[in-house]
Formats: sequence, structure tokens, C-alpha cells
Amino acid sequence: MPKTTALTGNGAIAEAMRQIRLDAVPAFPITPSTQIIEDFAGFVADGVVDTELVTVESEHSAMSACIGASLAGGRVMTATASCGFALMWEMLYVAASMRQPVLMTVVNRALSGPINIHPDHGDSMGGRDAGWIQIYAENNQEAYDNMIMAPRIAEHMDVRLPLMVSLDGFIISHAVETMQLEDDERVGAFVGEPQPLYSLLDTDKPASWGALDLQNYYIEHKRGQIQAIANAKSVINDVSAEFAETFGRSYGLFESYRLEDAERVIVAINSIAGEIKETIDILREKGEKVGLLKIRVFRPFPYDEIREALRHAKVVTVLDRSASFGAYGPLFGEIRTALYDLETRPIVYNRVFGLGGRDLFPSDIAEIYAESERYLQAGKAEKVHDILGVRGD
Amino acid sequence: MSDKYALKTWQELPLGGVIPEGGNAADYATGSWRTKRPVWKAEDCIHCLTCWVFCPEEAFGLTDGKTRSGKDRKEISGINYDHCKGCGLCAAECPINKRGKTTAIDFVHEET
Repeated sequence: MPKTTALTGNGAIAEAMRQIRLDAVPAFPITPSTQIIEDFAGFVADGVVDTELVTVESEHSAMSACIGASLAGGRVMTATASCGFALMWEMLYVAASMRQPVLMTVVNRALSGPINIHPDHGDSMGGRDAGWIQIYAENNQEAYDNMIMAPRIAEHMDVRLPLMVSLDGFIISHAVETMQLEDDERVGAFVGEPQPLYSLLDTDKPASWGALDLQNYYIEHKRGQIQAIANAKSVINDVSAEFAETFGRSYGLFESYRLEDAERVIVAINSIAGEIKETIDILREKGEKVGLLKIRVFRPFPYDEIREALRHAKVVTVLDRSASFGAYGPLFGEIRTALYDLETRPIVYNRVFGLGGRDLFPSDIAEIYAESERYLQAGKAEKVHDILGVRGD
Repeated sequence: MSDKYALKTWQELPLGGVIPEGGNAADYATGSWRTKRPVWKAEDCIHCLTCWVFCPEEAFGLTDGKTRSGKDRKEISGINYDHCKGCGLCAAECPINKRGKTTAIDFVHEET
């Protein structure tokens, strides 16, 4: 039976891991993702799952072991954050290029230095070109639901790519929220068994993995990866629709909140969306036409769908919770690119916030909407790029 | 070289750069890499097959033969220079060479 329960974001992820029938979990703990593996190690120790838990010596080894176990035909997963994600760097690309449907949770945390354990998206945004599918979650329920959909998406024969589910450190990972935990059997039936294309353990069909690939073949293999992640878009939609039919919660490539008639729109990722929605409700009471577009799928990026969703907006404020040094924020680049093909383009500008966990309060969000109203009246953005909540002019 | 080595389109490739077959080194002429070549001397060879074991490219050919007492055994039949890449492992591992009185495999510069 499904049950309503109270869990932290990390606890919700661990429950999903218990339910999606993993063969191997190679992992190295790092704040704020540690509780995921602590909880899962409890399931292993108690015999609740028959997963092989591999306590490796680093995150580079964790991802390497994930790739090996996946090549052997297993469904595998790990969890990490921040510097641990950065240490996996080389192997992230290997997992994607070997077309292994490895699963991972990235609990978003600022990268060193100075060392900081609090949320921003510098880690997963830095990995956006590694060839992984990236799905973001606003809260515990979404993190759990995304994790249950993850194997179906990653292992789909039109995709065969690794997939990471991201949620904000501490704000989501450590905060207890009420959520619905689905029935073990129904989740098991939904995810099914992994169907490996080739297996290291299949001695009747010997094969070679990781062969050298030079000028005469590398670009063909990359072309295949480009197609696979493009295919993921419709697969995510299909799996999300089936999830909605099965479990009753509906997800698109992004979430539109009071967007249909909105003139002034914020585009944002992850937990900040909750505060933005509350602020929108207050401003809507006063008759302000404000809305939110919350990113769920960042890779593959749904350019066409977002362009259509923002077609009627007049001012778009893109909030990036990470800095791309020497450039605009990574989300801003995508959004402005998506909007360029509109005949009548909205004013689009970028605000970076929340680096290293600096809070953005509802009053700050109200101020963002007030600023966007001034830009709407002026017909242009005074500043295209700025950092919010920083001391000093 | 058979058609299976014609350059493929991206759609025709197995996913992830997998080579889904074994033993295909036989189709690849690593002999073009060679700068030095081993020369096998039948008259000094004791057919211990050490060279055949160590050769990474299966360049040593085997044939059926008999020991002096008439028992069946495999014997070295020669070196396939299409596959010998000139690594010299055979000459380095040959027990006749190691004994130092004579050589069963010489390792010489390619004639240019």
C-alpha cells in the first residue's frame, strides 16, 4: 500500500533506491548526500535488499565501479555532491560514452573553495556537458518520483545513457517533508528488470569494451550520443505520462506555475521554486500578472517547448544558482537561446543568487518581480547580469 | 579485408563503442607497426612454445609434429609477419636465447 510519510530528501532517495531493485551501489560518502548511502547501507545490512554495496576509496572509483557493474549487466547507482561529483569528472564522460544507464543522485552543494557545504548548482551545472540526462527536483516528493522514473528513462533502448537526479543540499536533502511513498511491488513492476545489450559476464558472446577510437570513428560515436540524449526527451515524456497514470503525480519537461497569462516570469531550478510560487500567489492577489517556469529536465534542454511556454511573456528573469565565471549563468544562456527565434522577444535578464547557500527570501523574490515591473515600464533591462544578495555595490 | 571493415555510419555502430565479437585481431595487420623483426631458426628451436605463449598477436604458427621418442606434439611452423608487430617478446623469452650458447630467435632491424 502507498503510504503518506515524513522523510528527509535523502531518506526519500534511499527509499527509492530500495525499491528500484539495484544490483550494485558503489559509493563514497560526502556531505550533504551522506545519509542516502547510510540509509541504503542499513537496508543492505538488514537484508532488505540484495544489492552489492561497494565501499570504494574515492568518487572516481565509485563511478568507475558503477561503469564496471553496469557493463556486467546490472542496474547500478551512486550518490554524491560537490567535490565528489568533481572527482568523478573523467568517469562521467566514460559512463555516457560507453552508453551505460548508470543512475546517480547529485545533492547540489557549492564547489570549493573556499570550502562550503551549502547548496548551489555549480557541481551539476559544471557536469552538464558530460552526456548525462539531468533531472532536477524541487522537493522530496519530486526527488523520489524522479528516482523511480530514472531507470525507465536511462535504460530505454532509444536512450541508453546515464542519468542524474539533482536536489538541493540541506534545504531538501536534510529537511523532513510529508510525501507519498509508493508500494514496493508497484514500483518494482513499474521499473522492471534491466535489459543489458551486452554483458561482460556473457562468455558465450565475447566482446571488447573501451577500444581506441580515432579520427575515423570518434565523431560517429559522438553523433550517436547526441541522438540518444535527443531521444530522451520523448522518452521522459512517455515515462512521466505512465508514472502519472500509475501513481497519480504528473510531470512535464518543466513546470508552469500560473504562467498562461503571466507577463513577468521567473525561470528557476530546484527548491527556490517553492518560495517563488508562494510569492506569486501573494502578488496575484494584488492583480499582478506574474508566473514561474521551473526547470525539471536540463539535459536534454527542451528549447522548443520552453519557447512556446514563454511566447506571451514580456519580461523573463532567469535565476541561476551557479556562476559561470566570465559568462552569464548556464540557465540564462539556454533560456535566451530558446527565445531568440521568437518574432517578438521578451526582455530577458539574468540574476545569480544563492551561491554557497546564501538565502533568498520571499521579500527578495517580491523585489525581483518589482524590478521586472520597472523593466517592463522602461521597455528594457537596466542590467542584463547581476548578483543578488551580495554585500557591497 | 572483408566488407565488415568498411567504414560504418553512426547508425550502424554498436552502442558505446562495443566490439561485439571475439578474435577479430586476426583481421588486423599489426605487422605494419614493425621496426625490428624476429627471425625464427628452425634448426635451433626446441619447440617449447614459449614464444607462442608470449606472443601478443598470435603471430607464431603451429603445426603437428613428433618428439624424438615419437610422441605427438605441437611445433612452431614460423612467424606470420602480417601480424608480428616487432615487440621482441619472443626473442626475450626464448629459453635457447637465454641459455646464451646459440639463438633460436634473432631480433634484427628491418631491412630498409
